Amino acid sequence: MNRGTFFRFAAPSIVVMTLLMVVPLFMAIWLGMQFMTFNNITDPQFVGLRNYIDVLGDSRFWQAFRFTLMYMAIIVPAQLVIGFTVALLLDQVSGLARGIYLSIFLLPFIIVPIVGTLMFKQLFEPSGLLTWLYQTIFDTKFRYNEVSVKTLILFHGIWYTTPFALVTYFAGIQTLSQDLLEAASIDGANRWQKIRHIVIPHVRSLTILILLISIMDAYRVFDNVFVLSELNPIYKADTLMTYTFQTAITVQRLGKANAMAILTVVGIMIVLIPNLIQSYKQQIEER
Amino acid sequence: MEKIKSPLGRILVHVALIFFAVYSFVPFLWTTLQSFKTLKDANSRTPKFIFTPTWENYQELWLRSVPDNGAIIAYFILLVLVLLICLLLFAEYIPVRNGVVYAFVALGFVALLWGIPRMVDTAKFYDYFINTIIVTVGTVVVSITIGSLAGYSLARYTGFAAVFVLIAALGFRALPRLAFILPYYWIGSATHLLDTHILVIITLVAVNQPFTIWMLRSFFMEIPKELEQAAMVDGCNRLTAFVKVIIPIMWPGIISTALFSLLLAYNEFLLVRLLTQTNWTLPVAISRFTGGEDPRHLTLAAAAAVSATIPIMLVILFFQKNLVKGLAAGAVKG
Repeated sequence: MNRGTFFRFAAPSIVVMTLLMVVPLFMAIWLGMQFMTFNNITDPQFVGLRNYIDVLGDSRFWQAFRFTLMYMAIIVPAQLVIGFTVALLLDQVSGLARGIYLSIFLLPFIIVPIVGTLMFKQLFEPSGLLTWLYQTIFDTKFRYNEVSVKTLILFHGIWYTTPFALVTYFAGIQTLSQDLLEAASIDGANRWQKIRHIVIPHVRSLTILILLISIMDAYRVFDNVFVLSELNPIYKADTLMTYTFQTAITVQRLGKANAMAILTVVGIMIVLIPNLIQSYKQQIEER
Repeated sequence: MEKIKSPLGRILVHVALIFFAVYSFVPFLWTTLQSFKTLKDANSRTPKFIFTPTWENYQELWLRSVPDNGAIIAYFILLVLVLLICLLLFAEYIPVRNGVVYAFVALGFVALLWGIPRMVDTAKFYDYFINTIIVTVGTVVVSITIGSLAGYSLARYTGFAAVFVLIAALGFRALPRLAFILPYYWIGSATHLLDTHILVIITLVAVNQPFTIWMLRSFFMEIPKELEQAAMVDGCNRLTAFVKVIIPIMWPGIISTALFSLLLAYNEFLLVRLLTQTNWTLPVAISRFTGGEDPRHLTLAAAAAVSATIPIMLVILFFQKNLVKGLAAGAVKG
């Protein structure tokens, strides 16, 4: 295929992405330099870098940043470890049982995230099943406070991110070389040694893939935090996205929210750029 | 890996798997139970597992007033639904071209959705449901059409421009959505397109596009070049070769990608929440039930949650193989 044909085929897609992703991103930088509320949206007032400086000095922004990092630091390893362990266990069963387990495990992935969070929350309503269980076991009342709301957000995060890691690992384990495993058995390797020296290296590329996707998803987590924290500042459970949303919608500082979104984008670049360089090299090699 | 043989070991494996299954399943199960309870049963401080189920919550959610002959209408709608699904399932055995059957079924669904508000007095929730269908179908159709053209050319052209587009798309896919959505809001209010389906659809297409072209490209790479070359020798140009030869064998890949686009559009909350004031889709409508001040919200929210999940479960049931295949392809998830 020559260059002209390539551009003719790809043109609609490239135009859409340029107009609605590249242009808006630059627009956000510019909108971040305006003082803008819902009232003067078509007639904003230029304030230069004041919004950006404002955001960097905002303690709630840094609090949201810390909670986002904490969310990432717990969710990402948890989903890798749990996903891999359950995939190994699932590999032990076969036939109908395997199909049934797999369908149930996929459920949190399929359900609309907002709805899944709502379902999770139903368990912790005053009349919820787990509220009752908690009160029966610990004999104290279950209350919504900073610790319990954050714990809830983390539990839900694991609940709905693990299926992706699980299915990816499960598919990877299915492609293991049987010869290699048999050879290891003949050499007297036990189960743990086989997992350590054959299975984990085999799924290494999948681990990197899941790691990247889950880091980026955790960084921009919104839906579940939005529902579980009810955007209530006393829980101190804002993430970068929910705090930006709040600044835009509740406080109506659209300019500051744009500045915040841009600074958030700058933050993810630290992870993103090495990854992009890596992919670039790979693509150049493959062609 | 070889299987564990000792009976104790096997029991432990199942115990662990069942524990994880309970963790995955309980929120769904509990909400379903709550949705069939009366408010008094649902608010009981000790959980009730035995109760007389009621349709009240679903009625209040979907209907403004309950018609006298409600049962007959309900059975009629159910019958039409089952008939359409059966037609879809057994399309291969009907001695008409498959395309005709699918077109007929699609028409049947549209007629049913159009007809329901004319038979019964539907509530707002039904409008949100229709909005969701319009937005989802629109997004899938547009993004797959322009995405497969781009995905195909990216699989075949190896110049620098293709690599550049791919890497840029990868980068944009990873960025937090709000950085685009806030400017969309500004564009929307400048062009007076806020609260319209068209704005939601084109913006959803744009945020889905990077993922769509990557996934479609990986499927197109599997198809040997010789196929379209043979067609071009036979007098097709590139576009007709693409439409007549490549697309027909690409259907499984296209369906996998379409399924992920569908999930993304159906699930999207933040974008729709900011760009619409009244024409909500289901996720936004449901988030309104999370307030919690009104105790009636407890059972209504449960009914809404279950109602939004059932259509997507039906779709997944049909295309489960494509979903797992897409997940296993590895290059995915927006």
